[in-house]
Amino acid sequence: MKKKRVGVVLAIVMVLCLSTGLWAAGQVEQAKPEGPIKIIYWRSLTGVAGEAQEEIVKRFNASRSDIIVESQFQGAYAEILQKLQAGLAAGDVPDLVLLDSPHLQIFAKEGVLVNLDAFVAKEPKNFLQDYIPGLLADSYYSKNLYALPALRSTPLLYINEDMLAEAGLPRRAPATWDEFREYCKKLTKVNANGEPIQYGVGFTMGATTAHWYFQGAVYAFDGKISDENFGVHLTEAPAVAAAKLWQDMVFKDKSAVPSTSHDDLFNKKVAMVFGSTGSMGNVMNRATFKVLPAFIPGQVRNGVPVGGAVIAMPSTDKWRQWAAWEFMKFFTGTDSQAYLAEKTGYMPNSTSASKHPDLVKYYAANPHWKVAIDQLQFVQPQASVISLPKGTEILRQMVEKLLIANMDVNTVMAETKADLEKEYNENFK
Amino acid sequence: MALFSRKRTVHSMTIREKRDFHAFVGFTAPTFILLGIFILWPIFYSFYLSLFKWNMISPKKTFLGFQNYQDMFGDPVFWLVVKNTLLMAFFTVIVKMAISLYLATQLNKKVKGSSVYRAIIFSPTFTANVAIAMVWAWIFEPTFGLLRVVLKPLGFPMIDWIHSTSHSLPAVIIVLIWSGIGYDMVLFLAALKNISLEIYDAALVDGANTYQIFWRITFPLVSPTTFFLLITGFINVLKAFDIVRIMTEGGPLNSSNVVVHFLYQNAFQWFRTGYASALALILFVFIMFITLIQNRLSKRWVHY
Amino acid sequence: MQNNPIATHRFSKIVSTIATHGILLAATIIIGMPFVWMLITAIKSPQEVSIFPPIWWPKVVRWDNFVTAWNTAPFGRFYINSIITAGAGVLLGLITSAFAAYAFARIRFKYRDFFFLLMLAAMMIPGQIALIPNYVILAKLKWINTYQGIVVPHIANVFGAFLLRQYFMTIPDSLYDAAEIDGLGHMKIMLHVALPLSKPVLGTLLLYLFIQKWNAYLWPLIVTSKQNMRTLPVGLAMIRSAEYAIGPEHLMAASIFVLVPVLIIYFLAQKQLIEGIATGAVKG
Repeated sequence: MKKKRVGVVLAIVMVLCLSTGLWAAGQVEQAKPEGPIKIIYWRSLTGVAGEAQEEIVKRFNASRSDIIVESQFQGAYAEILQKLQAGLAAGDVPDLVLLDSPHLQIFAKEGVLVNLDAFVAKEPKNFLQDYIPGLLADSYYSKNLYALPALRSTPLLYINEDMLAEAGLPRRAPATWDEFREYCKKLTKVNANGEPIQYGVGFTMGATTAHWYFQGAVYAFDGKISDENFGVHLTEAPAVAAAKLWQDMVFKDKSAVPSTSHDDLFNKKVAMVFGSTGSMGNVMNRATFKVLPAFIPGQVRNGVPVGGAVIAMPSTDKWRQWAAWEFMKFFTGTDSQAYLAEKTGYMPNSTSASKHPDLVKYYAANPHWKVAIDQLQFVQPQASVISLPKGTEILRQMVEKLLIANMDVNTVMAETKADLEKEYNENFK
Repeated sequence: MALFSRKRTVHSMTIREKRDFHAFVGFTAPTFILLGIFILWPIFYSFYLSLFKWNMISPKKTFLGFQNYQDMFGDPVFWLVVKNTLLMAFFTVIVKMAISLYLATQLNKKVKGSSVYRAIIFSPTFTANVAIAMVWAWIFEPTFGLLRVVLKPLGFPMIDWIHSTSHSLPAVIIVLIWSGIGYDMVLFLAALKNISLEIYDAALVDGANTYQIFWRITFPLVSPTTFFLLITGFINVLKAFDIVRIMTEGGPLNSSNVVVHFLYQNAFQWFRTGYASALALILFVFIMFITLIQNRLSKRWVHY
Repeated sequence: MQNNPIATHRFSKIVSTIATHGILLAATIIIGMPFVWMLITAIKSPQEVSIFPPIWWPKVVRWDNFVTAWNTAPFGRFYINSIITAGAGVLLGLITSAFAAYAFARIRFKYRDFFFLLMLAAMMIPGQIALIPNYVILAKLKWINTYQGIVVPHIANVFGAFLLRQYFMTIPDSLYDAAEIDGLGHMKIMLHVALPLSKPVLGTLLLYLFIQKWNAYLWPLIVTSKQNMRTLPVGLAMIRSAEYAIGPEHLMAASIFVLVPVLIIYFLAQKQLIEGIATGAVKG
């Protein structure tokens, strides 16, 4: 009997310990740090782009004894958006977050990001002048600065160079969308049964990326998806022409295929994919063939939507804000940016970084990588509608309607325009 | 002993009752408190939230009345999602049960190694849906997928299951059937084992063939299990999320979107808390309705 | 042969046995294939993954794919999180359901049946409808990204309470009565009589709950936003959602991380689990 009682007591003690232990483990995050200020940075991106961010964090932590940055991977940009909204609802936000640039508007509007003007005011006068204006432009919300450009990118075309040679094409990228279409036809192969075994291009259907490449095409046709006042221009000739071209390539030429990941390029299922400049490191690492990174084709003109991420500050504590600002400066500073550009293919965000001796040397040795900077001259902000809560989803569905459901182009564009306007009126205005 | 205790109850009844009452409350309180907070209260709170427009972040909720329900019933995507959910539930349950009943009758013949067969066929029941969805997404890959190995010799063209508005839902259904067969089979097998061999022997003596034996004896006698699996299986598919999320994200163009996934998207991706709450409530009412039908019918129909 | 009924019978019996084996084998292959395919893919090189028709065994077995996959995310941490949340969930679930089960089986109370029905009714309510309210509750408690946030909303286990109650009721009254005469209260009777005699069903329930919680995806997905709080299934889904950098071979290797513990439990306790399901669920 006694033994049993001991057993019961032990069991109860164990349960109590376990539950308090659990409690404590859950609470640890909230504890206020003593000594060095510990701040949390939520990052996105995996692979090389992820590792390079970790390296920057490591360098920063090594250089400072008063601040410790802990970086936490949060998934793709769309997930960061989701996690940050969740964190806000729970009153548990990081000090710094890497945001897909259009998402900045949503959070700045809700008043959850720290206005950085006061921090800039304490810096030397020309502090902001080094940043490339095209990359700084979308860090503002109603004329206040809320972010700094961190990992800025543009869409690129990644081409399997071996396939170009095999198809008897010149070893250069197509300059216009018309030429692109011809390339794709020549790069498409079918087997004896008439089944396609290789396509010219894979059009990305990714939840957060589908719209981006399409924006590039619309810019090339000298149009736009929407303006700053959220007027939607999808039913106008340039957007319709771009949509028609993509749809015809999938359904008439059968030289293009909807695709979800770059695996299709690595698997040699497609000869070309669209991707971010920021994917360059990964693409180059994983491909078993020669890859030619190139501009998005032009048509009437050249133009690419700037993408990638800005770093913003949801921190709520004064001292942590100070520490967060220190890290922001470091992350967006010349040395870090030169390193990030070299490792990942993201564009250096400042004039000084693009002239950084390491980077200049690196580009001389790897001319392909320079395409990221060269494309800077064509950079334009993204369509405003991307900032709507459901904006990217509506545009993704548009691409799906065009390239999967093969619906009539004019109908699709009119529907999408209506959906976007409704979303704006109901959930943003 | 009985006598002894009866004598004493006259005296100590209230004390004993009190003691029992305290014990009862103490013993059941944790369960009821947890159920109350995390199951019961949410029903009322969902209803409350469904009357508002709220994005979860902002402290401000805008009262809409029944606008969310109106929007929902006027939304073609909602109806598509409902249709998908019902189609998915119907096909998954019917096909899965037919196959598993057939396999159970085969296993019931007690051939050598049947426990090995049983163990493997049952294994998907316990494996994480996330991992299952991952491997199936890879199997459905149009160019290099394993399924193409089977379909190509049969003369099928290359199918891009995941990117096709007509094939994405069937792809999800196939995975649900695959992962659900084992569970149904084991329950059918348990039911079959309860049928006495004498009934079969008698039927054999009467010259019944296998076909007749199945439809006249086996099928009616397992009907309680059939009914149970039909209802629970149906309800479980109504609640499916994991496989849809990982394989198709409900796409393309919502062609494989189902209620719980649509709810998730609305609540946690687009932050339409009110609309999502309205969806949750509709799902609740529908499932309760089916459960009620089950309670009614199981008393009449089934042959216990 | 046709003239000999016994031989015909024997012959047809052999044929039917072979047919049965054929059918069961086919089913086993179809069900088992995805697992095999997962493993084969996980040990291939990237080049071998993208070949059609596929190759069935790689030239060189690439065990290092598992290392690479392990390093794409903090899988060690995911493991710890999964073990803690599933373990605590099971333990607390068993304790609460054992108490409730004992009360409904043994303690006399006027409205017992009413409360029992009430509890069963709660089992019918789909947990999915509680997602948003529970999220809001947890947010108010500041339990997002905590272990208790993952665990607590799903402790109450009506099915377990139901199953245990059925089992407690099969224990002969004489045993309970004897304990009562010894002067033991309900707590002691439960601990010293009911629970020790229910070890087999407790064991099955424990494994069953553990597996269920180990595999859970939707709730941990919603309630964790920090990487270091994620459970295995959520972490696995996360590495796939990144647009690039991870090939099928690594994805399959990572999937295996999630499956292995459950498969080990399953194959060790396979009979117990299957039979537990068969008997438990039929009653439920």
